[in-house]
Amino acid sequence: MNIFKSFPLFFLMLSVFLLLSVSINSPADEKPIAPESIEGVNIVTAEEAIDLILADPGMPIIDSRKKTEYVKGHIEGAVNISNIEMTSDVLQKVAPEKNNAILFYCNGVHCLRSSDAIHKALSWGYSNIVWLRGGWQEWKEKQLPVLAI
Amino acid sequence: MRIESLSIKSATKAIFSMIALVAVVLSLSAGFYFRQSALDAQMNSLSRVIEVAAQEMLKQIRTNAFELGMKLGHSQKIVEAARTTVETGQKETLIALLDDPFITGFASFSDINLVKLRVFNLDMEYIAESSQGAQGIGEQLPPYLQSIISNRDKKDRLKAIDALWLSAERPLFSAVVLLGGLRPEGYLEVVIDPVLNLPDISKITQTPVSIFSMAGEQINTVPDHSEDEYLPVEYVLYTSDGLPAFRIVGLEDVANLSMEMKRTQVITITGFLLLSLATLLFALWLFNRFMLSPLSSMAGNMIAMARGELGLSINDKGLSEFHVLADSFNAMANQVRMRTNDLERILDLDESAIICFDQDQEVVFFNKAAKLLFGYSNDEFRDLGMIELFVDDVSSLVSNVESTDSNKVNKLHTLILCKHMDGHEFQCTGDINTIDVLEQSGQAIALNPVTDGEQPQSAKNEQRLEAVEQSISGLLKFAKENPSLMLGLDNIADLSVAGVESATEKAVIREKAVSVMSLALACWERELGKSKLDLAEESRIWPVYIDKSTPTTRTLDKYLNLEICPKNPRSKRVVDTAEFVLRRAENKNSRAREALRIELVAFRQLVSGVKSQILKPS
Repeated sequence: MNIFKSFPLFFLMLSVFLLLSVSINSPADEKPIAPESIEGVNIVTAEEAIDLILADPGMPIIDSRKKTEYVKGHIEGAVNISNIEMTSDVLQKVAPEKNNAILFYCNGVHCLRSSDAIHKALSWGYSNIVWLRGGWQEWKEKQLPVLAI
Repeated sequence: MRIESLSIKSATKAIFSMIALVAVVLSLSAGFYFRQSALDAQMNSLSRVIEVAAQEMLKQIRTNAFELGMKLGHSQKIVEAARTTVETGQKETLIALLDDPFITGFASFSDINLVKLRVFNLDMEYIAESSQGAQGIGEQLPPYLQSIISNRDKKDRLKAIDALWLSAERPLFSAVVLLGGLRPEGYLEVVIDPVLNLPDISKITQTPVSIFSMAGEQINTVPDHSEDEYLPVEYVLYTSDGLPAFRIVGLEDVANLSMEMKRTQVITITGFLLLSLATLLFALWLFNRFMLSPLSSMAGNMIAMARGELGLSINDKGLSEFHVLADSFNAMANQVRMRTNDLERILDLDESAIICFDQDQEVVFFNKAAKLLFGYSNDEFRDLGMIELFVDDVSSLVSNVESTDSNKVNKLHTLILCKHMDGHEFQCTGDINTIDVLEQSGQAIALNPVTDGEQPQSAKNEQRLEAVEQSISGLLKFAKENPSLMLGLDNIADLSVAGVESATEKAVIREKAVSVMSLALACWERELGKSKLDLAEESRIWPVYIDKSTPTTRTLDKYLNLEICPKNPRSKRVVDTAEFVLRRAENKNSRAREALRIELVAFRQLVSGVKSQILKPS
């Protein structure tokens, strides 16, 4: 019996087994969670967001979700710029003043789009970022005014 | 019936029967209870399912109403028309705009039944409503919603609110949203009739659901269903402020459940009953084996011992208590046995011949010395009377003394001329005591032969008789109960029977006994050609005496002559003799044999009739 001849096959099987074990034990169905906090970013609730909106009606509100989601309903006055499409120029058009407050939101705590967009904005020099971390889910649950197209 | 009259066996059977009955009743009750519990659990479960389905249905209404409200609430036309209405009082434009969804429709038109759109200012005062839809709802917000909004601060008033509430006519669902969004001009109320959506509960629960108003009116129709297969489960849907709005009756298909429960019920009850029955049977066997049987055996042994079979011992097989009882009773019987033996030994060891006679002057007791003195065997002695033993008329002697000396009525010391078995006569000193023989007057006689140079032992005998009188009395009583136990007292059994017979019955029995014996002898002589002596010798029932070298059958002769026949003839001897002759003459069908057979039957009936009368409890 030639053990060395069958060694590659054995190694392959062992690798498959280990990969399967890892994949079985890994929490594949767990949803991603947005970071609890981002340095230099002010996290607010829906009520606090309303206060800010009512206090500053011209405050840019960035909806980082997909277009289809935005169409179904969004916060009044929000502009749809998904995190993928958001560039420095695009954001510049909506929020020309980097020191003024700018509100980001996406679907909720399991959505990473707004946090990604915030990281980008921070890198581009925006310093007064407000983050509605609970996002659209929190807004809807509190039955706050929404706008559909 | 008194419980005390029951035997332990009957009581045990009754108790076990009661336990079995209780087991059956409990099994059936438990089966019914389990079935009911299963149904209750099923009903509770379905009730919760209906509750969840009802809340889901309301959620769908809420979502649709909220979406419609948000869309209309952000309509600039409606916002401006509302502002104009507030400012100018002109409602037409606003009403037309509010009627538009009823006419042109909206996105969730088919999902909800929109019955009214109403507009209120920020102070919740009525501004206008759609002319389309239901009428008569009123011009104010539902009190429940109005109360909640009033209690909210300014920021919270931006939040939409909804409620299921009772209008004057029926339950309605309202969603109140801000008119103008984050910069509100007033409130827009979207009023929905939830009846359209109530059947969705049936779709969610996947069971037929009947929906009733609280007035009892059925709102929907359900297909016909069997009462046995469907279990009705009721759920009441309440308004947001806690008033009953709808009665929802879900019909749970319990056909499979019922079948399963019946099967389980049958298996459970059968199993339980079988187990109970097996346990009961086992317990009954244990009871019977270790208690009832030993008890019955012990009772039988005790009865036999009480009848005189003192040689028996009580069976001690059984539970521990039986050992104690059996040992105690055996010890008691042993003491009685020893006492009896002692008494008999005392009398037998006495040098004097002691003989007791009953009222008919027949021997009822004799000791060994008496047998030696007169030369008779046991069997022979039992058939003797005073006449055969004494030449003197002892009874006359006693009678004479009784009539002359009233002080010595019970005791008499005299010389008595006695008659030996071989015929020679001899003289004895005799002490005669009148004693009680089973409640009848009898005589106890102590005899000592008179020899040369020896003085009569009057005083000694008197003392002996006094000493043994008590023993004799005790023995007689014992012998009456135990005729088979004491050889010397064998006559007592017959005496005990005879003692209570009437004189007429005695005479009839005597006559019948003599008749049977005569017929037996006649049959014997005629059919077999043999003599009376042959009958006595071959049957071994009757003693053969040798009188002066001549064999005689004195006892048998007595039973052939009515005048000298004993007053208490031995019926057993008579029967045995007749049967012996009938056996010997078995092949003969003569008239003599038939006559003997018939007479024997009659004699038996006579004797058994007398005995059964005696055995009857007084």
